[in-house]
Amino acid sequence: MIAEVFNLRKIMIPAILAALTAIFYVNMNNWNHTGDVVIYGINMSHMITVDHFSVAFSGLSILLAAFIFILSHDYYKNEQHHLSDYLSILLFILCGALALFSFSNMAMLFLGIEIVSISLYIMAGSRRFDVRSNEAGFKYFLLGSFASGFLLLGIALIYGTSGSFIMQQISVYAMSGNVSPLFYLGMLLMIIAMLFKVAAVPFHFWSPDVYEGAPALITTLMSTLVKVAVFAAFYRLILLCFTGSFSYAQDILAIVTAATIILGNVVALSQQNVKRLLAYSGISHAGYMLLTLLSINGGNAAALFFYSTTYSLATLGAFTLAIPVFAAMHSEQVDAFNGLGKKHPLMAAMLTISMLSLAGIPPFAGFLGKYYIFSEAIISGQVTLTLIAIINSIIGVYYYFKLILAMYTKPANESIPEPTPAFWLVAGVCVAGGIILGIFPNALITLLQ
Amino acid sequence: MTENILQDTALITPALLVPLLPLIGFIINGLAGKRLPKSITGWIASLAVLGSFICSVSIFNALDATNSINIDLFNWITFGNTSIAFGLQVDSLTTTMLLVVSGIGFLIHLYSIGYMHDDEGFTRFFTYLNLFIFFMLILIMGNNYLMMFIGWEGVGLCSYLLIGFWFKNDAYNDAAKKAFVMNRIGDLGFLLGMFFMLFHFGTLDFDGVANAAAGLDSNHILIVTITLLLFVGAMGKSAQIPLYTWLPDAMAGPTPVSALIHAATMVTAGIYMVVRSNVLFALAPHTLDVVLITGVATSVFAAVIGLMQNDIKKVLAYSTVSQLGLMFAALGLGAFSSGMFHVVTHAFFKALLFLGSGSVIHALHGEQDIRKMGGLGKYIKITYFTFLIGSLAISGIPPFAGFFSKDEILAKAFEQNPLVWGILSISAMMTAFYMFRLVYLTFNGNFRGTEETKKHIHESPAIMTTPLVILAILSIVGGFMGLPAVLGFTHRFAAYLSHVTDASKEFLPHAHHLSHATEYALIATAIIAAIAAILYARNQYVSKGNLPVSDEQALPVLQKAIVNKFYVDELYDKLFVKPIQVLSELFLVLVDKLIIDLLVNATAWFVGLTGRTIRLIQTGNTGFYIFAMVSGMIILLVIRLFI
Repeated sequence: MIAEVFNLRKIMIPAILAALTAIFYVNMNNWNHTGDVVIYGINMSHMITVDHFSVAFSGLSILLAAFIFILSHDYYKNEQHHLSDYLSILLFILCGALALFSFSNMAMLFLGIEIVSISLYIMAGSRRFDVRSNEAGFKYFLLGSFASGFLLLGIALIYGTSGSFIMQQISVYAMSGNVSPLFYLGMLLMIIAMLFKVAAVPFHFWSPDVYEGAPALITTLMSTLVKVAVFAAFYRLILLCFTGSFSYAQDILAIVTAATIILGNVVALSQQNVKRLLAYSGISHAGYMLLTLLSINGGNAAALFFYSTTYSLATLGAFTLAIPVFAAMHSEQVDAFNGLGKKHPLMAAMLTISMLSLAGIPPFAGFLGKYYIFSEAIISGQVTLTLIAIINSIIGVYYYFKLILAMYTKPANESIPEPTPAFWLVAGVCVAGGIILGIFPNALITLLQ
Repeated sequence: MTENILQDTALITPALLVPLLPLIGFIINGLAGKRLPKSITGWIASLAVLGSFICSVSIFNALDATNSINIDLFNWITFGNTSIAFGLQVDSLTTTMLLVVSGIGFLIHLYSIGYMHDDEGFTRFFTYLNLFIFFMLILIMGNNYLMMFIGWEGVGLCSYLLIGFWFKNDAYNDAAKKAFVMNRIGDLGFLLGMFFMLFHFGTLDFDGVANAAAGLDSNHILIVTITLLLFVGAMGKSAQIPLYTWLPDAMAGPTPVSALIHAATMVTAGIYMVVRSNVLFALAPHTLDVVLITGVATSVFAAVIGLMQNDIKKVLAYSTVSQLGLMFAALGLGAFSSGMFHVVTHAFFKALLFLGSGSVIHALHGEQDIRKMGGLGKYIKITYFTFLIGSLAISGIPPFAGFFSKDEILAKAFEQNPLVWGILSISAMMTAFYMFRLVYLTFNGNFRGTEETKKHIHESPAIMTTPLVILAILSIVGGFMGLPAVLGFTHRFAAYLSHVTDASKEFLPHAHHLSHATEYALIATAIIAAIAAILYARNQYVSKGNLPVSDEQALPVLQKAIVNKFYVDELYDKLFVKPIQVLSELFLVLVDKLIIDLLVNATAWFVGLTGRTIRLIQTGNTGFYIFAMVSGMIILLVIRLFI
């Protein structure tokens, strides 16, 4: 905003990137200084706690945000006058996400979720003259407010029974022998609200429509940074708060997981719109990530983190390469990719790698991500669910290959996409990350073990 | 162990450079080769290998023979409590192979600059060649079986690419495929062997496996199984019966390739592997018997076929198979260092002979049939003399290199089993005969080709003859590394390798040593036999002026069988290829088309239908979405609270 006043638009993105680098560095420093957060002498530990989990996920999300910022310069080239608004809202989202990684209080959780959601409602509808964008924003808002209502009701019930917002105290209450049934209801409501936020079946209806309608860059943001943030929050919530009472919700979570994995993959098969396709792919990936919640034990945070990283990198890579194609072809259908293999071999190759990583084909990172999650799930006894997941990930290969086939076997059409250097940079880093993590997973997987 | 590593940290850089340089050469030529001038690409590749050779020499000078360097670059694969490192090691055995591979590799690169000069695939050729050297170095430098396997597969790939280098000729492609498939059969054995090791010993490190195995009894079923499987791998790579038929066909590749891959280096990988696993093999005398029998049989069988071949490269190919058999015979006798010694000397003279034959082919513009040669000694003197030296060396005439190594193996054979000695001696005699048959038919007498060709006969350029001369010198003096103890010398080669081979000494039966008189007698017999064979060849092809018959002419049954290589290819075709083809047709129709396709298509159809149906629920109507969400929530709550 201040930049707007001084007409300093050009330096905004570099400045934000510099700031992000600084935050990233500060965040990494926290690795060895975990524990209570003290600001000006006030112990904040009842609000936020910094631990390895939060530092790792914060690092990842700052990185993803930086990529989005790098892309936004070129993406919003024709909308310069709104750029500062967009950028500040994006920064809000990052803020909310960071709160979601380290909250230790229900109020912080709600705050984080709302900061992220409300900012996203705006961003989804940010193409004012595009009907679909407006529709997406509004739809997301309506459905999202329902979910927020559930979340709030859940928190209220839990506060009513346990008498606290502080996670640690709730956890103590949950483990005590004398737990009110209303507490369980509160927990279920919270879990359902979170399931909405991660777009799990049957609370997923918003996601394909919103993904399709929102500007592509915002879709990218939603399917990477936001998804990771909400999942991390979900994991943290259950781990810190509900470990004692979680078995109560395990059955319905198992049903939801199975439904999410199956529906996400099966419906994606018949999608022709790439953004929708990736939305459903995102739903199915959410299903795989839900597996880690079912086998939650604190130890599998590493698997979730690795999976989040590989999934975000591959999705970000795919979107980064798809956006220039969308722009060049004025279409978001699978047909838009016809013959890309001939027109632009490098782009096609990189997109193929991203797709293969999403599909979980070795040697790319996505395969190991799946492998770690599945093996954790089997160790914790979720054999049936894991089998369902494996069968469905085979089905999933089909629709990822649809794009690859379009690129390499269909005749080319004329317009040639021209990614700007910023797109090349981000896509290059994502693809390289997908390959390197696939071959040397140890650095990342041991981080949280 | 740790102390050794610290002590030798200075050697880590050259040790890493050894495989890295050819890799860099490969990358440069592979990526930028088309943009670089042709002359530069050849030199880049050659200099990369020269760099490796210099590093190898510096390692050889600095590294004590009883010492070894172990470099674990990173932890490669971890599962459960087993981890496999991406690691290299250098000890005396590795150093020996390093010097041979990079040294001879460099000479052959140099030679190829001349030989391949007019080929349109010049850059591609050097790219493959560098890649081959890289994988070969990985093969010999790996510190565990998996690393060895990477190199093993890599050289197999390069061999395939280079045999089929002139891929426009279908027959050459078939030869390449044959080599690949035959090698795959062997690789399967190697792979299974590795699985057994991993499963039972929990490690693939050479030291780890050897230590674990040393705890088991001799002829323990596990060790016999593992070693037999490993030996199957060696049979494929080193062309032993029954997996030898690919090697003669592999002569379809350019001649430098035959020299480098199919004579001096890759085909000796099987021997290297057995020597590297000498503790395992020593613990499995049954396997050693199998190795011995296979080696002896291959040696004599290939020599017999070699007697009647008329293609200059095919003669050399069968001679290679036969010599490899001799090396395996040595390993089967437990004489690991003798086998390695013959690997080294054979690398010298066989590379020389192949490059010499390349020079002949070069002079005659591609003619390979010795019946159309003759009298070439007058025209291409350097080639003639160096080829002659190579032939003397392989025939076992003192003081040339082959004499010492072959004599050592024969003496070891006599120690343990005079019958083996007898068969190997016959094979050696046949070798001497067909080599000099080759020499006389090619270089002596009158030219039998067309006048047109005769006019164009020319000596090869210096870049090709220099490697010939260097290899000839090595073929003369190479044997002095391993002078026999009976003549009062110390066997420096065996001493150098003893650090590696001593590990198995305690498991091998102690053979009684031969008396000096016996050894002298053996040496004398060998020399006389070789000379007699040469003189017989001279009598046949120089004095009598006999010529091998042309293809159309009818032959007695036995000779016909030999000319047709005992119909082994045809036999394999009938026995394996045809039945498998029939079976695969059957499976294609019955299983694939009928059952699998139906099943898969039905599943796909069903899944697709489900997808299309469920998709209809996604109406875009927000009111419906909220309704669905809330009802979903209620259902979940009902399930949880009331059921």
